Amino acid sequence: MPTEGGFLEPEDEDLEKTYRVQQESILKEVDLLSSRKPFDMILPVLGPYTIDYTSNGRYMLVGGRKGHLAMMDMLNLDLIKEFQVRETVRDVAFLHNEQLYAVAQKKYPYIYNRHGTEIHCLKEHGKALKLQFLTKQFLLTSINSFGQLHYQDVSTGEMIANYKTGLGRTDVMRVNPYNAVIGLGHERGQVTMWKPTSVKPLVTMLCHNGSVTAVAFDRSGHLMATAGLDKKINIWDLRKYEVLNSYPTWAQSLDFSQKGLLAWSNGSEVEIYRDLGGHNYRLYMKHRMMKGYQVGKVLFRPYEDILGIGHSTGLSSILVPGSGEPNFDTFVDNPMETTKQKREKEVHALLDKLPPDTIMLNPNLIATVRAPKNKEKTKKEIEEEMEEAVESAKNIERKKKTKGRSKPSKRAKKKEEDVLRAKRPYLEQSKEVDGRPDKKQRIGEEVELPKALQRFAKKPQS
Amino acid sequence: MPKKPAMRRGKPDRGPDKKRRHGPRLPRAMRQALDAMGNGTSRGSDDEEVSDAGAEDLYEYEEGVPEEEARKNGRYDDVAKYEYEFDSDASGADDNVTSEEEEDENDDGEDEEKQIRILEETTGMPKEAFSAKKRKQPLELPSQPGDGPVTIHDLLDNIQGKPGYSKVRKRLQQQEKKTMVVAAPLPKVEREKLERAVTYKEANKELTKWERIVKPNREASTLFFENDVNLGVNTIAAIANKFEPRNRFEKRMNEITQSNEIMEAHRYDGAKILELNKIDVEDVRERQNRLAKMRSLLFRHEMKAKRVKKIKSRTYHRMLKKDKLKAASADFEADPEAAKDYAMKQELKRAEERMTLKHKNTSKWAKRILKRGLSVQDEGTRAAIAAQLQQNALLTRKMNSMKDDSSSEESSDDDEDENDSEAKILNRGKERILKVLEEDKEIPNSGVFSLPFMERAMKKQQEAAYEEARQAVEEYDDSLRKLEDDSTERNEDSIKVTGKRTFGPAKNLPKDVNKKQKLEESENSDSEYDSDPAQHFGNNEATTKKDVQLGTALLDDEQNGLHKSFDDIMKNPGPKTTFEVGMLAGDSWKTVKSSKGNGNSSVSGITNKSKLLAPTVVPNPKQRDNNPDSDSDSDEEMVEGFLTISDTKENYELPSQAELIRQAFAGDDVEAEFEKDKMEVLNEENPEPEKPALVPGWGQWTDIQQKKGLPSWMIKEHDVAKRNREEALKRRKDSKLKHVIISEHVDKKVEKYLARNLPFPFTSKDVYEQSIRMPIGPDFNPAISVSALNRPAIVKKPGVVIKPIQYEEVNPHQKPDEPKRVIQRAIPHPNAKKVSAKQSKGATSHKRK
Repeated sequence: MPTEGGFLEPEDEDLEKTYRVQQESILKEVDLLSSRKPFDMILPVLGPYTIDYTSNGRYMLVGGRKGHLAMMDMLNLDLIKEFQVRETVRDVAFLHNEQLYAVAQKKYPYIYNRHGTEIHCLKEHGKALKLQFLTKQFLLTSINSFGQLHYQDVSTGEMIANYKTGLGRTDVMRVNPYNAVIGLGHERGQVTMWKPTSVKPLVTMLCHNGSVTAVAFDRSGHLMATAGLDKKINIWDLRKYEVLNSYPTWAQSLDFSQKGLLAWSNGSEVEIYRDLGGHNYRLYMKHRMMKGYQVGKVLFRPYEDILGIGHSTGLSSILVPGSGEPNFDTFVDNPMETTKQKREKEVHALLDKLPPDTIMLNPNLIATVRAPKNKEKTKKEIEEEMEEAVESAKNIERKKKTKGRSKPSKRAKKKEEDVLRAKRPYLEQSKEVDGRPDKKQRIGEEVELPKALQRFAKKPQS
Repeated sequence: MPKKPAMRRGKPDRGPDKKRRHGPRLPRAMRQALDAMGNGTSRGSDDEEVSDAGAEDLYEYEEGVPEEEARKNGRYDDVAKYEYEFDSDASGADDNVTSEEEEDENDDGEDEEKQIRILEETTGMPKEAFSAKKRKQPLELPSQPGDGPVTIHDLLDNIQGKPGYSKVRKRLQQQEKKTMVVAAPLPKVEREKLERAVTYKEANKELTKWERIVKPNREASTLFFENDVNLGVNTIAAIANKFEPRNRFEKRMNEITQSNEIMEAHRYDGAKILELNKIDVEDVRERQNRLAKMRSLLFRHEMKAKRVKKIKSRTYHRMLKKDKLKAASADFEADPEAAKDYAMKQELKRAEERMTLKHKNTSKWAKRILKRGLSVQDEGTRAAIAAQLQQNALLTRKMNSMKDDSSSEESSDDDEDENDSEAKILNRGKERILKVLEEDKEIPNSGVFSLPFMERAMKKQQEAAYEEARQAVEEYDDSLRKLEDDSTERNEDSIKVTGKRTFGPAKNLPKDVNKKQKLEESENSDSEYDSDPAQHFGNNEATTKKDVQLGTALLDDEQNGLHKSFDDIMKNPGPKTTFEVGMLAGDSWKTVKSSKGNGNSSVSGITNKSKLLAPTVVPNPKQRDNNPDSDSDSDEEMVEGFLTISDTKENYELPSQAELIRQAFAGDDVEAEFEKDKMEVLNEENPEPEKPALVPGWGQWTDIQQKKGLPSWMIKEHDVAKRNREEALKRRKDSKLKHVIISEHVDKKVEKYLARNLPFPFTSKDVYEQSIRMPIGPDFNPAISVSALNRPAIVKKPGVVIKPIQYEEVNPHQKPDEPKRVIQRAIPHPNAKKVSAKQSKGATSHKRK
């Protein structure tokens, strides 16, 4: 790899702690380009801010609760468009690239383009609380105030699915980047996972005793972090559905970075945990906002060592060494892409769009051999069973009867009958296993004339 | 000398005999004596094999005689004898046995000739003498009696007259009289079976020889049919070259073009053309003159154009334009074509205008002027700007309304023409606004605006607007020199314009407004706004004006709350806002307090003083003014929102009452609930078996029946179902996980992405599933291997005919590892064709099955 990611590393592990390192001291050390990346924007008027990054990490979308929307190019720190919708803005989400983004507003989610022109109003979604976009499937997902989950294909406009979660109102939603399964956190401490082709949740987990406040998925899709009101943050192994680690804190928002760092916010504090191996997450960095600033959302910027923070009085971004993927694959995501490349990529993405059916818990299942529908017994098993039955039938003791009914010949005959009776069901079974219906039956099926014409049919010679 | 089997053809029986009959070599005298004694028997032994058994005993004496000696009497003359001797010497054989045997072999053609030649040389006799004898020799040999098989009669003859002969003969005769029984032919079924077996065997053989060719093709992941194929597409030149006239016309044409005369003429003409190259001096001069004149004309025209371009007189240009227009109009009055052209041109211009908004103060000039302030400008500039805006309005006006312009005024009141009339009104209103703009602005002294508080308000408003603009500009210059935010500037400018324009129409248009009041109300409905994004977003004058009209209209009617709120915004468009700016500068948090009297100018950001590298994004509360088109009800709400923001520092964390209650009661025994839920799900997916029950009344006739209870089979069935359910539950993935429900529901839509059976070359499921784990997409593979990995099963050029497969002799010892990629050969192997041109046809049909 051309570049290696690195972390903050103390010289003496016992004496120096990485979480004591402040942003200023990091700033002093880093190169000029990186030192330009952290910033604080104080936007006190238009309420708590939520943020979103494009998948290549180049653009940032900012949504203020009071209707302030802005899109920025984070590479050269340009403001691309800023405007006011004069409505409550609950969430913002980029679609496949920065050309389009969705905003959950007071009544409906809207789609705007890069110039701030309203493209669509998605009335079917209702009062959406949270938006997520499934990049590979081109699906916009929203959870509304009635706890309804909507999937809409943004390339065709088709509403793919609309499910009632039946678990109450929630605004905790995250997509699992590995399999595009949507994770929802509910107020009864459950986390449910959904796909667009199933009415019922694929998995329901009881993660907390209080309501779930935040959910985040690792990039590999095997780890899930949940935060609840029961003052716990749990890290789950999604392969075994077991808790790997539990931390006694609150968190308003959680996010995994590309390199597996876990950030959570609690009040005006942001903490970043690092996996020291074996899913042993230890405190790595700490950042404290100004007192009274409530952090609403933390989000790692892809392909950069940066954590974006949306808080009650604006935005911040801080340096988190080792959080982003240092090497980007231009075929996947290119932060430096040109207009032409972007267009090309858009077309390719549309061509490679996955149908919504392909979303499943284990995407590796695709193209494998289908498991037999109902476990059929093999012929051998049937034979074995039959033998057993025959044995038991042979051993039946008969009463001694008078008047010649217990003659040896009679007894033998009876035994034979018993054996036959015991055998019969197994013989039938084996026939079924063969799977071929009798020839006669097939003929019978073929001759299916209407009743009025049946008398003209040639009678089978018998 | 090698023995050749061909030599013995003439005497089949004797060969092997002779070989056997080697004996010790006797001296010649002794042999002669023996011959004399039993000449007859020795002769007979040659012919009759029957006597072999007897002759075996007398081996040496009867048969051991070398042939040439046995046949000495008459059959071999001296020369022949000599020849044998000679031959044996010549061959130089070591043992005599072989030399003796060569008697048979010397009738070989080549040897014969050689020998004859030698004989000729040695004896001096003619060649014919030897050759004739040679030819005679075979004729003599077969003339031996009793060539057929030995019959029983032959044997009988021998014992004739012996005792018991008659008996034997009688029996024989009897036997001969008996008729021979011919075996019945096999039944047809059997025969056919045999035939089939044979046919099958043959067919099998025929087919198996194809295996070597067919099998690799079957197993190959890709078949290629693309070896150099000439598709027969030629160049045009080649086609033209081949052209032969076919029909009469073509022939005639050909005749003409190819005729000698024409060719001659062409040749001659060509010469003439060459002749032309000799130019007259006169001509050249004339041409030069002409060119010079043209050039000078061009130059003058250019100069004139330059001069005209330099003329700054507006009147002159106006006149010029008018002239042009007049000419054009006259033009297209005359002919409809020109009119159409003109219309097209106009349409194009309109479209262009809509796209670029060129005349909507977007030009550098207009921006500069607006930046400086319209009021500062002289009358002419303002007029120009107004003209420009008018042009924009004209160009962007809807097409329908253009037509409606000519129609009567009354029609505009119709509800149907709402849109058109609206546009018209807007246009008219705009014109008037522009007129007002051109006039010196004056405070109206009639109507509502003559009221003292309105006057005051207006004055205040204007002052505030100017003041604020100036402040903003200064501030921008100071603090945000780097940040060139075009949009905000533009916004600011447009505000100014609107601020001025706002009250213009009110003076001139009160009646109009009253008339159209209904219309305006309908326009304000939500649906209208949803349907018109341009109105929603654009901050064009049209909408501005409309709002103003609305305002005035409401003013006229009654001063309701809405108006008040609207007015409030106009008066003091923003509350005082105080905020802290936290920044990460050096080692301390700085707090910058800034307060602005005006919301419009509360452009906040991190000022220059902070040494932070961070850029600042500025929330623009003034946008509220920029979007004056937002509908009235939401407007009100938002105004309230703003007020609340400014009044209290909002608390982010404080949840609502309902939320608090929800959270408070959420954690009540969540686990028990979850368990219940899980049971429900389990019951749904694996339903519990029904309890066995009889139909009421059935089986309850007697006490005994009732006492017995349910029939045993029912109970058994129930038990089995129960057990099955338990097993199914145990098999579930979540059986051991208390806190997890994993749905076992099989998704039918997923099934189409699964393989129904194991694909062909694979025999194990695991191997197959491992093989598909390898990514074949472009994300993980280099471009070259992607194409190789995703190659279709058959690669073929379009238009290529795939010929049937041809049989080819394959070397069985050839290494099979190199895959046969190219199946089809453009030029089939000549040998292969010979081998089975016929077979291939039948076999291919088999293969294709």
